Amino acid sequence: MRQRGIRLGLSLLLATLGLFAFAVPASASGETVGSCMAEVLEHDGHADLHSEEVHDKLEGCFEAPSPIIPELNEIIWGGGAFLILFVVMVKKGFPAVKAAMDARADKIRDDLDAAEKAKTDAQSVHADYESRLADAKNEASRLIDEARGAADQVRADLVAKAEADISEMKSRATTEIEASRQQAIADLRAEVAGIALGAAEKVVQSSLDDDAQRRLVDQYIDEVTGS
Amino acid sequence: MSDNAIAGYADALFAVAAANDVLPTVEDELFRFSQALNSDENLQATLDDSSLPVDRRQQIVEDLLGGSACSTTKALVSMIVASGRSARLSSIVDAFIERSAASRNKTVATVRSAVELDDSQKDKLVTALSGATNKDVEVKVVIDPSVIGGLVTEIGDDIIDGSVRRRLNQLRENFR
Repeated sequence: MRQRGIRLGLSLLLATLGLFAFAVPASASGETVGSCMAEVLEHDGHADLHSEEVHDKLEGCFEAPSPIIPELNEIIWGGGAFLILFVVMVKKGFPAVKAAMDARADKIRDDLDAAEKAKTDAQSVHADYESRLADAKNEASRLIDEARGAADQVRADLVAKAEADISEMKSRATTEIEASRQQAIADLRAEVAGIALGAAEKVVQSSLDDDAQRRLVDQYIDEVTGS
Repeated sequence: MSDNAIAGYADALFAVAAANDVLPTVEDELFRFSQALNSDENLQATLDDSSLPVDRRQQIVEDLLGGSACSTTKALVSMIVASGRSARLSSIVDAFIERSAASRNKTVATVRSAVELDDSQKDKLVTALSGATNKDVEVKVVIDPSVIGGLVTEIGDDIIDGSVRRRLNQLRENFR
């Protein structure tokens, strides 16, 4: 690749040198007006300068060459330079350029192959990534379902426990209320009994006169006697 | 205080009273003093207070019994108080009465009544209790207003309760 570039550079340098070596100014191949008039005067100066012939020649010096058709010597030099340059380019320049272009094409082809391979790899990675992403989504969905199921179970357990606790509390409260009610009834009954018996005791004490006391003692003695 | 000590004191009281030939009097006076002592917690605490001098406690006994008791009774009570046995005086007196009655081949029945019993009632009661227990019973009557009416008799460990108080208590139980 490097040699190919060096050869291409040398070919271009050679062509440029040939161009400068064989190039000739257009003015060098033809005559100028002055030189034309001098040449006329040198050949025909001894003749009458006022003759029609000399006058026409001098006028001829003022006539411009054809603007399209080059001078013959220019055609020869230009053609020769062109042929030399053409040969040099065919022999040296074109193979170098072709080799460089081939190398460039090979490199581009290799790059395209590498790019294609990279694309294939990327697609494979992408497919693998998509697959893993799908698996991850499925796993996440499964985990969410499991968590939801566990949460539902926990909630159901808590609700059941709360209902059991409430039922137990109700039962306990009912029992305590019933016990309190029974205690209140018993207390009230005892209180009423105490009041009634206190009143009865006072009535009995006030009604027990000597005769009643005697009858009670006699009744006691009779009971002991009869026992 | 052990039962033997109580019995010892009871024998001593019996011996002194018998020697002075005032056994029935002393028996009756000690019984009444014992009942009075049982019904008065302050008096019992005072006689049992060891911080008080013995002379002071004996003077209290002298003041209480005064001229209502014979000298033998006062001397015996003073002896018990001086010995620091006033807390067990009731038990000693009970044992003494039992000892005295036993000397007459009799059993003592303590009868609690809301009112005084006349002699006729006492005789009938002695006859009834003697017949019921097949023993020769001697009655000691204690006036107890809490009985309200009727009688409560204690003979040894047996209790014959025919009081109005018991009937009221039964009625109270029935209310519960």
